[in-house]
Amino acid sequence: MTERLSNAFGTSSIGGTEARASRSLISLIVPVLAIGAALSLLPLRLGDSRVLMGVAIIGVTFGCYAIAFNIIFGSTGQLFLCVGALAGIGGYGGAILGDTVGMPIIVSIALATIIASLTGGLLSWIAVRRSLGVIFTGIITLIFSLSFENFLLGLGNLTGGESGFLIESGASSFVRRQIPPYYLMLVLLVVFLFVHGLLRRSHIGWAFRALRDDEVAAELAGIDVSRYRVYAGLVGAAMLGMAGATYAFTEGRISPTSFGFAQVDVVVLVMLALGGIGTLYGPILGALVFSVVDEVLIDLGQLRVLVYGVVLIVLFLWIPRGVIPTLRSAIARVQNGEQESDPIGNAAAGDP
Amino acid sequence: MTANILDGIVLGLQFGLLAAGLTLVYGLGGVLNLAYGQMAVVSAIVILFSMNAGLPALPAVLAGLVVGGLAGLLLDGTILRPVYRLHGEARVLLSLLLTLGVAFIVDGFFNWRYPSAGLSLRIGGGPIRILGVPMRAGSLMASAITIVALAALFWFLRSTTLGRAVRSVIEDEEGARLVGIDPHVILRLILTLTGILAALVAVTRSMVAPVTVTAGFGLTVFALIVTVVGGLGSVTGALLAGVILGVVSTIAASEIGTFLSLIILLAAAAITILIRPSGLLGVRG
Repeated sequence: MTERLSNAFGTSSIGGTEARASRSLISLIVPVLAIGAALSLLPLRLGDSRVLMGVAIIGVTFGCYAIAFNIIFGSTGQLFLCVGALAGIGGYGGAILGDTVGMPIIVSIALATIIASLTGGLLSWIAVRRSLGVIFTGIITLIFSLSFENFLLGLGNLTGGESGFLIESGASSFVRRQIPPYYLMLVLLVVFLFVHGLLRRSHIGWAFRALRDDEVAAELAGIDVSRYRVYAGLVGAAMLGMAGATYAFTEGRISPTSFGFAQVDVVVLVMLALGGIGTLYGPILGALVFSVVDEVLIDLGQLRVLVYGVVLIVLFLWIPRGVIPTLRSAIARVQNGEQESDPIGNAAAGDP
Repeated sequence: MTANILDGIVLGLQFGLLAAGLTLVYGLGGVLNLAYGQMAVVSAIVILFSMNAGLPALPAVLAGLVVGGLAGLLLDGTILRPVYRLHGEARVLLSLLLTLGVAFIVDGFFNWRYPSAGLSLRIGGGPIRILGVPMRAGSLMASAITIVALAALFWFLRSTTLGRAVRSVIEDEEGARLVGIDPHVILRLILTLTGILAALVAVTRSMVAPVTVTAGFGLTVFALIVTVVGGLGSVTGALLAGVILGVVSTIAASEIGTFLSLIILLAAAAITILIRPSGLLGVRG
């Protein structure tokens, strides 16, 4: 019995009995805070350089996006190709509510988060109700992304069109200084990480894993697959909206390219592929590696796009012995009871 | 109005040809080629450079078509190999991700090396009146080429043994295998063919408006929209959807503005997916 228990403790599958739940809460809080603490030291090294702080802020923002996308795609296999658009709903929503309507910043961010969340939930609900497979979900969310970009360009009076939206709210406050925005985004990152960790440990996490591995079996086991998909859409999109809105207020200027498909979705996809789809810490690792590499290669200019293309291909073909099987089990629901280990990349990402 | 409809048909025929390539590969092999627009761009650049090097237009265009075909063959022989080992949605997803990577490689390279290159073929001669509407010679030439190409494609699929083999693989891959058709050989052939189609689209587009190095993503998206509306796997559907969407978007562009015409196209695709996921004439749901 003790042996079996210790075996159970030894595995990295999460959740289970009450005793294990309390243990895993500590094992969640400690590493999450450690990551937060480690990243909070970054301005000590980069704080003098406006450019490098900008890179760090964008890196953390993309880490937030990657966590959100991971909850939607990694946990429930919904290929949302509208990460940028949902963040943009947050960003532009916040900016319009703050500047044009004149609400306080914090209220604007909250409302923008809710709008983004409902949009994501709606997309999820549509995909679930019409039982769109992964490909059609991808296509319809891509269509949503492109429509959103076109609306931003077309509704120039409201959004500033191509030249972007200059946000007046908070222009003279601390959110526009060099270092505070970094900590604001970092707080979001740590909170998102913690929320995702809690989700994984809750019954929702169980449902996510079950439906990702085998949708039919999960349904038969009494899991309301549709409901959990919509949950993932709501939570992920709320994170995207909140991160997008906060980023917009700290940046002071947003344009369609701040939330474009090519500029956000593609990057988030590469980050997640780097770090490990479906893992807790993968998005952080991916965002970190990507930001560093991107900064190192800055002189290559457009040639960086070529590098990302190569990276994308290499990642999905060779390196992650697991990414393709993970994808396969996440999406095609090719079930094999034996193979159901925890998501690939855990070891690399140091998942507890 | 007549002018808009005629312009729309010109555009729609090209949409149809563009989507035919994407839809054939999807119907045959469950491969969604997101580097499709980039294949057209590669061909356009080859034609541009051949002409800059002093080659007359016709041989340059032929070189472009050959390169387009080779691009398809190369795709089949390299990164699509591992894709063929998977099945179902996993195959579509991996093909989509890998060809997206290829699209970045092509885009990144051209934007870095030749950021301002663009192909535009000028067709001489003044406007020609059709149904009382003066049409540009370039548009008419583009439409004529497109119609001939589509006719050839339909003839190939309906009347040749090879074309029937292609259709049989689309309908039932296992059955086709049982009667001695190798689906992989057929797929390689079709990828080469769609590369040539992409090159042809580059040629006909460049007679109406310049095809720039950044055009790839836009072309792929148009092809995807038309393919979805027409039905994945149906060439007739692609042609039908292409012409309908071409006419609708041209009328919308002139009556309410370009930005909304794009939204209308996107909405048409979204509504099709929601109401009739298999498209107008789809073979696979």
